Amino acid sequence: MTEAVMATNSPSVFLLTVNGQIEGANFPEYDNLYCKYCFVYGHDWAPTSGLEEGITQITCKGSHSSHKLIWNFPLETTFKSTNPSGWPQLVVSVYGPDVFGNDVVRGYGATHIPFTPGQHTRTIPMFVPEPTWRLQKFTSWLLGRRPEYTDPKVVAQGEGREVTRVRSQGFVTVSFNIMTKDMKKLGYDTGPSSPANTQSATSGWSTEEQPYKI
Amino acid sequence: MAELHIIGQIVGGTGFPQNSLFCKWGVHAGGAWRLLAGLKEGQTQVDIPQTGDMAYWSHPIDLHYATKGVQGWPKLHLQVWHQDSFGRCQLYGYGYCHIPSSPGHHRISCVTWRPIGSWQEQLAQMFVGGGPQLRSPELVYSGADRYRLHTEAMGTVELELGIIMRHFDKYGVES
Repeated sequence: MTEAVMATNSPSVFLLTVNGQIEGANFPEYDNLYCKYCFVYGHDWAPTSGLEEGITQITCKGSHSSHKLIWNFPLETTFKSTNPSGWPQLVVSVYGPDVFGNDVVRGYGATHIPFTPGQHTRTIPMFVPEPTWRLQKFTSWLLGRRPEYTDPKVVAQGEGREVTRVRSQGFVTVSFNIMTKDMKKLGYDTGPSSPANTQSATSGWSTEEQPYKI
Repeated sequence: MAELHIIGQIVGGTGFPQNSLFCKWGVHAGGAWRLLAGLKEGQTQVDIPQTGDMAYWSHPIDLHYATKGVQGWPKLHLQVWHQDSFGRCQLYGYGYCHIPSSPGHHRISCVTWRPIGSWQEQLAQMFVGGGPQLRSPELVYSGADRYRLHTEAMGTVELELGIIMRHFDKYGVES
């Protein structure tokens, strides 16, 4: 089907190819973590190839190399759409065992897929919902259960966020290689394609070490 | 008609007296602009960061505008609020920034300010909290009547906005 799209001269859809990896994470207080990912996109969008969701291995911090958690997990998906509205977002959630060995969530986060062709690195801040009431706080501590979102996709939505209290406690680093097809032909100007050295600029205020200098 | 897509995130706020912050935001555009899709206002989550000074909101924005002219280019206005452990809210800052007018990915640091009252009010604010607020929040993104205000500097709000433009070149608009 991609061949059929490639052949047309006056296209009605454009393609967005996302190749990349979930490189790793930085959670100063936790270890033995794994990561789930999925994509959230608008009505006009549809994936044409690749996996829409996945789950990484469990990793722990290297004994010699700093405090980084490494997953090196591949992302390969192609989307098609007629309209940039509802541009896909990558939603990641990180889980790990608590002291009792139960899997609990250590962070949710989301970022828009970059839309300029080229190489991009994004550092996604990760947060968990906080118990609303003090009693809930106490019982969640007692039972070793913390609040979770029933669907992690809510972190990609702008509605209904005002009722949540969260605690941010780490970062996930994702790298993207973006290709688009026929966006120019459809009249969309996404700006200059980024030179390779802008990748550090996009994550400037949330590099691994910086936020933890208190 | 030319089309403008604004896709990105309100990343977070930094440099405020305390964290446990949230942000109310809205996009204001002139009469020639029509919103085709997306939410043009909202409120973020409250973040109490474990470490560091920055509160992260990661609040997605995805707006699709159609326009007949470049006058009244959209502006994003913000209010940063502090919520204490009892759920009481206090205003920490107003700010606005223009939506970038060139396509591509933009990192924006939006500076904020808040009104300060007389010294009696400031003294009261030190002990009981609260503080003056604008009666008409449009003042945040308009220059009229600002001269009557006395304000102080607050923190900055970090934004990541991607801009996609369509058919602006057809009308000879250079950006």
